[in-house]
Amino acid sequence: MATVASRVASAARTWRSTYRLSDYANFLFLVPATVFFVGWQIYPIIRVFVLSFTDYKYLERNPPNFVGLQNYINALNDPLFHVGMLRAFAFTVAFVPLTILIPLVLAVLIDRVTTPWLSSFYRIVLLIPAVIPGPLVFVLWKWLFDFQIGPVNTILVEWLGLFTRQTAPQWLGGTPLSLPAVVIMEVWWGLGYHTMFFLAGLAAIPKDLSEQARIDGANEWQLFWRVTVPRLLPILSILVVLRFGTAMSVIDEYLIFGGFQRTSPTYTWTVYMYDLAFRIGDWLQGYAAAIGWLGAAVMMVFVVGMLYVFRSRD
Amino acid sequence: MKIPHQTDPNGTRPTLTRRQMLRLLASGAATAAGGALLAACGGTAPATPPGSAPAQPASRPLTPTFYQWIVDLHPAIPQVNSSFEGLNFQIAPVQGFGIERFVAEAKNKESTWDVYVGMTPFVEMSQLIKADVIEPWDDYIPKDVLDDILPPIREECTVNGKLYSWPFLLDVIGMAWNSNLTDKAGITTVPTTWDEYLANAKQVVDSGAAPYGATYDARGWRSLAPFTHSMSTNVYTPEGLFDFTSEPAVEALILMKKIKDLANPDILNEGTTDGGVNNTPDEGAFAAQQVAYYTKYFNAPLRFAQTGGFSDKLRMAGLPRFANSQGGTVFWTTGACLFKYGQNKEKAVEYMRALTYNQQIWKDSIAGSPTAHPGQLPPYKSIYAEWEANKPDWMPSFVALVREQFERARAITNHPFGLTQFVIGKPYWEEYLTGKESDPRAALQKAKDAVAAEIAKAG
Repeated sequence: MATVASRVASAARTWRSTYRLSDYANFLFLVPATVFFVGWQIYPIIRVFVLSFTDYKYLERNPPNFVGLQNYINALNDPLFHVGMLRAFAFTVAFVPLTILIPLVLAVLIDRVTTPWLSSFYRIVLLIPAVIPGPLVFVLWKWLFDFQIGPVNTILVEWLGLFTRQTAPQWLGGTPLSLPAVVIMEVWWGLGYHTMFFLAGLAAIPKDLSEQARIDGANEWQLFWRVTVPRLLPILSILVVLRFGTAMSVIDEYLIFGGFQRTSPTYTWTVYMYDLAFRIGDWLQGYAAAIGWLGAAVMMVFVVGMLYVFRSRD
Repeated sequence: MKIPHQTDPNGTRPTLTRRQMLRLLASGAATAAGGALLAACGGTAPATPPGSAPAQPASRPLTPTFYQWIVDLHPAIPQVNSSFEGLNFQIAPVQGFGIERFVAEAKNKESTWDVYVGMTPFVEMSQLIKADVIEPWDDYIPKDVLDDILPPIREECTVNGKLYSWPFLLDVIGMAWNSNLTDKAGITTVPTTWDEYLANAKQVVDSGAAPYGATYDARGWRSLAPFTHSMSTNVYTPEGLFDFTSEPAVEALILMKKIKDLANPDILNEGTTDGGVNNTPDEGAFAAQQVAYYTKYFNAPLRFAQTGGFSDKLRMAGLPRFANSQGGTVFWTTGACLFKYGQNKEKAVEYMRALTYNQQIWKDSIAGSPTAHPGQLPPYKSIYAEWEANKPDWMPSFVALVREQFERARAITNHPFGLTQFVIGKPYWEEYLTGKESDPRAALQKAKDAVAAEIAKAG
């Protein structure tokens, strides 16, 4: 027995010494990730940055000229950029609190369900939207919000009698209600996903903390604000920062719900950037790049501010 | 690049030193960064002399690419394809008129495809020419085919004397109505003027036959332009832009407001596919039999009557005219362009000829197939001549109507802003339609100024 064991150990030593990689050669394994990172992250960022200082027009055959900060100056004086940023903020202000608070409350409620099968059922139901592919979600909500045949208007008009067919809400097509319609769809879509985040956070809170607080006379409200929320703060901060970034840079949903209509509340700075870069005239990609960088800079300022607000105070 | 090797201390296996590894990564990064800077600063290829790309032997089978809707509406296309052995048939990446992939490939002097079937001249032809993506058909198209194209269509497809679009499907803007609803309203006359049209539409609403009397597609090239043409087709500036402040355009806008008052309330909203261009509210209202009268290219009422299940009650006629005007409308063709850096150019000609002269395609288009009824017409004189000589038993009366309308129609002038001028101007002229601006001239002036500002921005 001892002989077999020593043979195995000896073979393992031989294998390790034969096939041991040099510490430096381990860098080789970083190459795929590095190539991907440089090619798909760093390169586009550099390229867009350089473009933003030129008058590059995609359909123009002549080489672009260096124009310094002119694109940035033009963008800062462009009313469409201003209003586009304001619209993106309007969406973000409506979307981020709802997409954080509703899942938080739901998670707390589900966390208290003590019947295992019922708890699992709730979780599965909530996760259904998260596993539906994006195009199907868009088709579903376009149908729900349809002015003529949509169930939402059918309920409002025929069941509740709140409107007539003529005065029924117009949710789609760049109307003032298009932005709230996108908010509703997005909150629904992310509900299960965000709830799971919070449920994971809740599972990490020691149960005796709550029990001790109850013994000390804390009511449920105080328990929620003084015990649960502070312990969920790291998850909360991650979600707020992530959702802020995605909310400010939404584009697909806007194009589907509002098209390229410039007066639509869904015509934000991202749609304007796309419009300039791929549709209008000679495709002003230098100018569009400057708008992209300005939008990104504004977002970065807010993200830094949020990271400061949510910083660890331990 | 060959990776330099070094034997490891045991002398058994080659390894890489940190210095070598870093050198390798640095050279890769420098190549990428250098490429980025070069591409960004001098990104465009040097100007290519005009003319065809150097002829190269074909290294692949003929590779046409189609806009998806054409394949959906014309089920006989596979029949044509089957007669071209090895044909590499593809669907184009052009959702919402996006041509960026074509342009990107042309910049690298290459093309995945040989011919694109789906180009509408006023929408994207000028841009494709400017970006050196396509080349004229003139060196390849047989003279008998060229001479067979209806003259206004040939003019539409020509820039600087060169034919850049091989026309395929003809669309003309006209009028349609649901006779279920007009019969209920007790209407027996076909409106030929806009005043009669409005009176009939009002009668539909007043009688309760339908909630709405009339509708249109609010995108300018489908309503403002054709309504303007119904008074005069001479409404383009010398640069080729639509003259928003011309008197016919003003009258057209006033008319649009009158129709809007009798229309489905969401009439001005954007569509929900293709960047707001398609799946528009008028289509839903007409298909749902909520509205009686409808003005759009003829294939729209044909398709949506089929969707709504009332094809037998669909009636069509020419676009009404303003009193004391000659009357006119808008037409456009959807055709094929030849990629400059594509291959198989002679084969592409053979294919386009087979496609555009295929009788089954035209029968399905005009008489309808189990899956679609687009009602789009051919662009060739000889096909009409043949039909006139031997009228097919499947030929419906609307073909003569569309032909008659076509004679009075004009295409929207080709220009890099041919389509986008209507997208840019729409919010401004709609201020009059929504009551925000009481003066139609002021609203249209704002639209004109907005387009001019955008053109100035483009330099």
